Amino acid sequence: MGVMIALIRKEFLLLRRDPHGLLLLFVMPAMFVLIMTFALQNQYAMNKEVTLDFMLFSEDNSGLSRAFARELATMAPLQRLPTQNDWQQMQALAQADKVKFLVRVKPGFDQLLIDREPAVEILFSPGTSPVFASVAQARVTELLNRLYLRYRLATLPGVQSSLAAQASDLVQTRSLYDDSGALPSSVQQNVPAWLLFAMFFIAIPLSTTLINERQQGTLLRLQSMGIGPAKLLAGKVIPFFIVNLLQVAVLFLIGLYLIPLLGGDQLSLGENPEGLILVAVAASLAAVSYALLVAQIARTIEQATIVSGVLNIIMAALGGVMVPRFLMPDAMQEIGSYSPMSWGLDGFFDILLRNGTVVDVLPEVGALLGFAALMLGLAIGCYHRAAPERG
Amino acid sequence: MIAISQLEYSYTPSASPVLKGIDLDVPDNALFGLLGPNGAGKTTLLSILAGVIPCPQQCVFINGKDLSSPAGRAASRLSLVPQEYAFYQPLTVRENLVFFAGVQGVPAKEIGERVREAVAQTGLKERLDSRAGKLSGGLKRRLNLAVGLLNRPLLLLLDEPTVGIDPHSRHFILETLRHLGATGTTVIYTSHYMEEVEELCDRVAIMDHGRILRSGALVDLLAEAPQTGHRRKSSLESLFLDLTTRDLRD
Repeated sequence: MGVMIALIRKEFLLLRRDPHGLLLLFVMPAMFVLIMTFALQNQYAMNKEVTLDFMLFSEDNSGLSRAFARELATMAPLQRLPTQNDWQQMQALAQADKVKFLVRVKPGFDQLLIDREPAVEILFSPGTSPVFASVAQARVTELLNRLYLRYRLATLPGVQSSLAAQASDLVQTRSLYDDSGALPSSVQQNVPAWLLFAMFFIAIPLSTTLINERQQGTLLRLQSMGIGPAKLLAGKVIPFFIVNLLQVAVLFLIGLYLIPLLGGDQLSLGENPEGLILVAVAASLAAVSYALLVAQIARTIEQATIVSGVLNIIMAALGGVMVPRFLMPDAMQEIGSYSPMSWGLDGFFDILLRNGTVVDVLPEVGALLGFAALMLGLAIGCYHRAAPERG
Repeated sequence: MIAISQLEYSYTPSASPVLKGIDLDVPDNALFGLLGPNGAGKTTLLSILAGVIPCPQQCVFINGKDLSSPAGRAASRLSLVPQEYAFYQPLTVRENLVFFAGVQGVPAKEIGERVREAVAQTGLKERLDSRAGKLSGGLKRRLNLAVGLLNRPLLLLLDEPTVGIDPHSRHFILETLRHLGATGTTVIYTSHYMEEVEELCDRVAIMDHGRILRSGALVDLLAEAPQTGHRRKSSLESLFLDLTTRDLRD
């Protein structure tokens, strides 16, 4: 027991003296969580934060076109900005992304509408995302259809008032995420995503210490002191497993307390947070085992740093850490499903987004533990093959 | 104390043997110099004695006990001082010594005493709280040795313990080894410095290509050494060059 305590204490002392390692393991993911949570806040909160500002330029002065201009300004999430007199000037503003889109009401609006011809033109600024563009187009189309029907059915009694209702009022929406109607916020995506990214980055400090021990003769010395492979292995796995759990605690605390303090949404741990612990433990074992294999394969610290850094970024990109997998095309989603980070992320999402239970995360936990067993087996094999060849 | 008989070793079954029929006796309390060019097999032999490489056959005995058995390992109370600075550079001298005492199973209440002993023997008392990585080459060598003394070894194995240090530190280390030899520790050490071996050791073995070419008391080997006209060349070096055929090695 004393031997294990000495080995674990040594790893923590080494990590404490390694400012780059601490930056990599704690500061970097914390910064990523903060930056990405606030940067992507609107992407996950369409219903309450996003406004699509536009300018309208009318070349028609009919009653119907004036009604179009008036009613369009009231349709959420559209927000009309004060109109400029000069169409060229308005286009320049849109070109510079000062406004998301422009609406030009064509001359002869009424007749074009009745003839089902394009009565308006929409110009999107270069920075308007396709999602926002389609929302704007749908709202304009909806209003044009409503005006057309109002015109056609004007003579029928009782129709006018019912047509005045917003189309959105005809549909009830409800998120399966939360009975209160809330939608998952960016903090629910970003905390687990960057946490997994950081957990796998322990490959760098772990392999650095192991390669240093190999190159500087400390491993030889420890072996000569009767420290067998099992103790050496446990002496690495246990402290870095604890480091991973500290990362979990730090990043979840940031989501729970710091982000709300800065004006963001609070991380919700779901109804079964014990499932999060299970996923975190499995992800940590996968990350530590992967780190041990990197340390065994790499001959130098430079090799370990480059190999693990590049592999981590690839796994993160495919696994949905940087870009949520639901935004990827099917083929990319299929490829991404082979990344251990995607298993961990799906496990966390089962609890954080889908109100899943421990049973729901078992497939992801099983995949992570299988990956851990494979990596550990390969690392042990490499350790035994690397017999000391000395003079 | 140490008896090696017909020791053979290959790193892989298909590789040519690194050690070929080694026979060697090292008496108790000896200061034993193990000499040989690079690639001779010295470090492999030390690694087998230190237990880093499993003893392949029952052919190494320490105080009559087979080194490959748990009882033999337990009774040997040996310590290896590798050629490299085999400690943790970011840790202080004290943290290193406490760690290495801990992993050797020294009881917690005894660790302080062992650390004090080791730093007293190696003159590191004033440097206990210095980072190991900030020490000079000579002090690093002394720390390397201090770690090896924490278990109060009966057998101390040193792999080139004076490489790359100034004469004062070298003198200090050699005096420390002499003192250890005089107080009941058997010292086996490898070196390329012939004068150093002549000055320190009472018994010497010269090996090359995995074989022991000569071994015995230093005075007997010196008597065998060919006469050279170069007055500054040690006699042991003449014998070494003669036995190892003067080929350039890596």
